[in-house]
Amino acid sequence: MRNVPNIELDGLEVRLGNRTILNGLRGSLQGQAIGLLGPNGSGKSTLINTLLGFHAPSKGTARVFDLDICLQSRAIRSAVGYMPENDAFIANMSGIAFVRYMAELAGLPPDQAMERAHEAFFYVGLGEARYRKIGTYSLGMKQLAKLAQSIAHGPKLLILDEPTNGLDPLARNRMIQLIREIRDAGETCLLISSHLLRDVDETCDEVLILKEGRVAGICNLEQERRTNRKFLELETIGAGPEFTAAMHDLGCECANFPNGRMKIVMPESVEIRDLYTVAARQGVQIRRMNHRRDSLEDIFLNAMDMPQAVGASNGRS
Amino acid sequence: MAVHKRSYRAYIGPVTPQRTRWWVITRYSLAGAFSSRVSVVLFVICLVPSLLAAVTIYVANSETARTLLELRNANNILAIDNRFFLRLMAVQGWLALFLTAWVGPLMVSPDLTNNALPLFLSRPISRAEYVAAKIAVLSIILSSVTWVPLLLLFLIQAQLSITPWLGPNLFIAGAVIVGSFLWIALLSLVALAISAYVRWRIVATGLMVAVIFIPAGFGAVVNAVLRTKWGMLLNVPYTLSLIWADLFRYPLPFQMVPVSAAWFSLLAVAAISLILLHKQVQARQVVRG
Repeated sequence: MRNVPNIELDGLEVRLGNRTILNGLRGSLQGQAIGLLGPNGSGKSTLINTLLGFHAPSKGTARVFDLDICLQSRAIRSAVGYMPENDAFIANMSGIAFVRYMAELAGLPPDQAMERAHEAFFYVGLGEARYRKIGTYSLGMKQLAKLAQSIAHGPKLLILDEPTNGLDPLARNRMIQLIREIRDAGETCLLISSHLLRDVDETCDEVLILKEGRVAGICNLEQERRTNRKFLELETIGAGPEFTAAMHDLGCECANFPNGRMKIVMPESVEIRDLYTVAARQGVQIRRMNHRRDSLEDIFLNAMDMPQAVGASNGRS
Repeated sequence: MAVHKRSYRAYIGPVTPQRTRWWVITRYSLAGAFSSRVSVVLFVICLVPSLLAAVTIYVANSETARTLLELRNANNILAIDNRFFLRLMAVQGWLALFLTAWVGPLMVSPDLTNNALPLFLSRPISRAEYVAAKIAVLSIILSSVTWVPLLLLFLIQAQLSITPWLGPNLFIAGAVIVGSFLWIALLSLVALAISAYVRWRIVATGLMVAVIFIPAGFGAVVNAVLRTKWGMLLNVPYTLSLIWADLFRYPLPFQMVPVSAAWFSLLAVAAISLILLHKQVQARQVVRG
């Protein structure tokens, strides 16, 4: 059985007026939580709007859960929850009425919509404010109300456009925690567009990096993190050729530097405690041990330096 | 996502058919329209002439009532014919304009003011369905003060009349329906177009009335300057009365332009309103930061 990607970009080109905003995007995104990164004007919001059917592709297409955005837009929108970047609400409605309204539009029967609206409000932490008019909410509350309306109908794909925009640190942490909970529940795929690398790093397992309307990189963060865990930098006292040989015997690749510094690449089968065991046996002191941290920022900056669309560090494009 | 657990869970219950989703917008907009007491009062006022007409029909058909009211020789006043229904339709029609001017601004602008449109259209609702749902709101409200009560009165008259009345006057029912549909379509589209462009309710209400009456003055200027009568096509009240009189087979008052031209001018206003509305909804479906 073919493993269907959550989002597949197939030469997607979008022109608005005379400008090409998205230029031949190609890529296959399988992650449970996909981050959408790129500088201003790189086409992040246009890509989201195109997936939602607001813009028609001028060339190519994209598929969401194997549904074509040109031919099956309505089916895609049935499966999507969308939290836009800007304020989006009806000011003279109470929060609960607004979320119920949106849930009914997504297809829930009125009684179910009401029940889910209450649940969504309690879930995002606005339970006590659900009967207040949305126009009276603070910025953080409006963001949470937007999240509530996007999840009330239990979408298969949740699109969050700058979800932490304008939030104070506490509210941001709350939002990130909610996104992680939704991700970890495993029933919803997330597409999160953000300028904040930290937000994406904390919530996503795959990123699509856009630059000037092109794919600058696709990176599986989970794989990257696993790989990083196998790269170690050590500072030792007393490590000689015997210790290096013992590392080789364990299956590690090892490079020695002056002052007892070493770089080690561990195979999958070797754990860090094996290193400590060898060191203890040979009387070697391990004074410092660091995992290589090829952070999302490094990945992003590398992608921005690339002269043209390339595959990411995991080799996919 | 149960309230007591406060954890996320997907929805696995039943869903409504997609073809009926637009009705959700209509339902909520109707509730919004009647959330104001002024709307309710206006709506009730709009029904008063129909109630008075019902009384008139009863009196006209009841010998006893006429005797009691000493109206035995008032057959001309109490004649229930095409003229009676035309006049009633005119009264209901203009009341419908004021009702639309009050209710219409609430239709689209609240969805645009705070960028709610992307939320509607990111669900399985198309732009056309959104517009149709909003038109349906005004159509329901205006129908209930125009052709619905008039048709009921028509049926009451047909029932009460002691002489054969229904057959020879069946064209009145057709005139009521066609004339009302034209007026409702025009009012709905103009009101929605204004609501899509004007945020402030009071301005939108004034503009609604102005759009109907101000071009008449401009048309008079055109007539005077160009020594023509085609400027009358800009006079909505005149063109409407011309069409209604024609539909009700009533002698046309001061016919200065052909009836077909009057139809064309009103349909053109409706079409322009629809195009403007569509352009605005299309432009606002995506919020640009």
